[in-house]
Amino acid sequence: MSGFDPPQDPGTPQEISRRTFLANATVVLGGLVGLGVAIPVIASTVPTKELLTGSKQWYPLDENEFKQLEASTDKPIKIFFQHKVADGYITSTNPEYVWGIKLAPGEESKLRSSRPDLFAAKDGEVPYPVVNMGFVMFSPICPHLGCHYNWDDTAGKFVCPCHGSVYTKLGEHIGGPAPRGLDPLPFREASGVAEITWIDFRSIIPARIIVSYS
Amino acid sequence: MVESVLSWVEERTGMVSLVKGLLDEDVPGGTSYWYVFGSATLIVLIIQIVTGILLTFYYAPSAATAWESTRFIYDKVILGKYLIGVHYWGASVMIILVTLHLLQVLVWGAYKRPRELQWFIGVIMFICTLVLGLTGYLLPWDLNAYFASQVSINIAGSAPIAGPFVQQFLQDGPTMGTLTINRFFGLHVWLTPIVLLLLVGAHLFIFRHNGPAGPTEEEAAKRRIGKFFPTQLFMDTVISVLAFVAIVILAIVLPPELLPKAQPSLSQFQPYPAWYFMPLFGILRMTPPELDVVATIVLPTIFVLVLLFLPWIDRNPDRSWRRRPWLLTISALVVIVVIATGLYGQASVSQGQAANAQLVKQIQSGQVPGVGAPAGAAAPSGATQVAAAVGNGAAIFSQNCASCHGAQGQGTPGVFPPLAGNAVVSGGAGKVIGIVKNGLSGKIVVKSQRYNGQMPSWKATLSPAQIAAVITYIRSSWGNHASKVSEAQVKSAK
Repeated sequence: MSGFDPPQDPGTPQEISRRTFLANATVVLGGLVGLGVAIPVIASTVPTKELLTGSKQWYPLDENEFKQLEASTDKPIKIFFQHKVADGYITSTNPEYVWGIKLAPGEESKLRSSRPDLFAAKDGEVPYPVVNMGFVMFSPICPHLGCHYNWDDTAGKFVCPCHGSVYTKLGEHIGGPAPRGLDPLPFREASGVAEITWIDFRSIIPARIIVSYS
Repeated sequence: MVESVLSWVEERTGMVSLVKGLLDEDVPGGTSYWYVFGSATLIVLIIQIVTGILLTFYYAPSAATAWESTRFIYDKVILGKYLIGVHYWGASVMIILVTLHLLQVLVWGAYKRPRELQWFIGVIMFICTLVLGLTGYLLPWDLNAYFASQVSINIAGSAPIAGPFVQQFLQDGPTMGTLTINRFFGLHVWLTPIVLLLLVGAHLFIFRHNGPAGPTEEEAAKRRIGKFFPTQLFMDTVISVLAFVAIVILAIVLPPELLPKAQPSLSQFQPYPAWYFMPLFGILRMTPPELDVVATIVLPTIFVLVLLFLPWIDRNPDRSWRRRPWLLTISALVVIVVIATGLYGQASVSQGQAANAQLVKQIQSGQVPGVGAPAGAAAPSGATQVAAAVGNGAAIFSQNCASCHGAQGQGTPGVFPPLAGNAVVSGGAGKVIGIVKNGLSGKIVVKSQRYNGQMPSWKATLSPAQIAAVITYIRSSWGNHASKVSEAQVKSAK
């Protein structure tokens, strides 16, 4: 590479400007490589939207379950499904259920007046219709600290075994440490089949914040 | 023979004279056992790296394998439990040595010009050591690893402005999971150690550039100059061996325990931090909730910034400790406060640890009362649970009350009061019945501690007979001696 050998005395203006140019060019080229490495590396550490919000999946009800749900206006029933859970690259399928309730006549207006937060458009708190075809679905997760609560048939109430939170059939919070009423889940009809989906909500706080769909 | 080999190598590499040059160093004011902490820290760091590399031969970072592979190291790997113990206690000993090194430099005034940057880098290395402790804490993925790391991630998330991004970066998902373990693994095993090693290089290079500080010039002039090799090196070796022996003894006598696997629904588990974060934990426990950010973010940030910029804050060029009374007084006070808050934090977790031990026992024997069934498994219905408990105060208590008031009636600090030794519990029956039937919320003071939880009303869930049984139980357990309560009393009370 004779072209890069100093042609002249190091003190001459041409030689100084040549060396300055080479030094600057080294910084610029090296910087380009650095940026070329750094940008994709840093970008890759940002969690994807799918990771953060989950992928919305719909789980169809089987015919029997739907009939049971339709017939049951006095008490809620468990709707079982195989819940597909993705934890990073590990996916698993767990048996899970949601609580389904067929509203009795007049109960929808009761729900609207006692739990206006489910219907308010405020900050898109519940960005889906809570009552669909006369049904309401509740997440089985207690909004207090995430236990599965139970339906107590004799008391006619939902009771959480962990810390004793109590809810009415319409999910109104009436006792115990829970900060809010039960969390509603979306319910829809697609090509003749009723479907449910799963949402994780943040626990312990009064606001109903969606953590992820799955 | 040795001589000729060395000269052969020297001729071809120049490395023998390089090593000789490194060893042949003056120690102004003479060698001293005060100067050993830096070298000893380096030796423990090397122990950590060696044992850490070995652990990666078996450890697999994911929610499905982290705990299982750690269990495997404990149970199946030859000396596995011992090596985990060495790595675990090595971290503690390293933090002690780093702290002693820092205090020695502080007292000697060795951070002053021209060693400002050496100090600055040293403080960053101190932070790296703490980061290693914090990130390593999550990796076993047992109950405490999970819940304690959740606390640290939430604290990071509560910081103003950058908080949510830091939390998102650490967690890599809506909740803690597999990807969180992978992140912490990358931080613990790759990023932080590499940064730390580069800084060790810089720290040592600058050390050689400036030479050891030694005592003040006037002091040094009175004494002989010492030599690093062999005198100081021998002293360093003695202390390093002592540190190593301490680690080995701790690893054998107090091996770290692997708790049951992380289970997010096990919300009554009370996490506790490693002892070196106890001062922060203690401060958090002392402050009212509305000042949490001050305790978790503001104070630690101020502390670190003051440490980092100490050479520029303390502009007094004098290094003699006799002429720096203020700085040393303040430093001593800080040390005392750190130790005191640490002891306070430790005292405040000891109760929780007793409850945890109880809980762990129950998990290991396959019965976990009061826990929501893990996702999927059908929870027993409230009615059957309640029916099973009729007439048995202890069973009713463990199924309905123990998750808040503790299996031994010890309560949950700050939230749910203890029942053991509680004057109200042993007092008039009518008041106790009223609280159980109707619930209680708002601030209360029990045994001069404040509590602010919410007790639900139980009259819809428990029958009068059950309420009577459980009240009789709590009034006659854990040292309480008060009268029995009958079903009729419960029925007649409002």
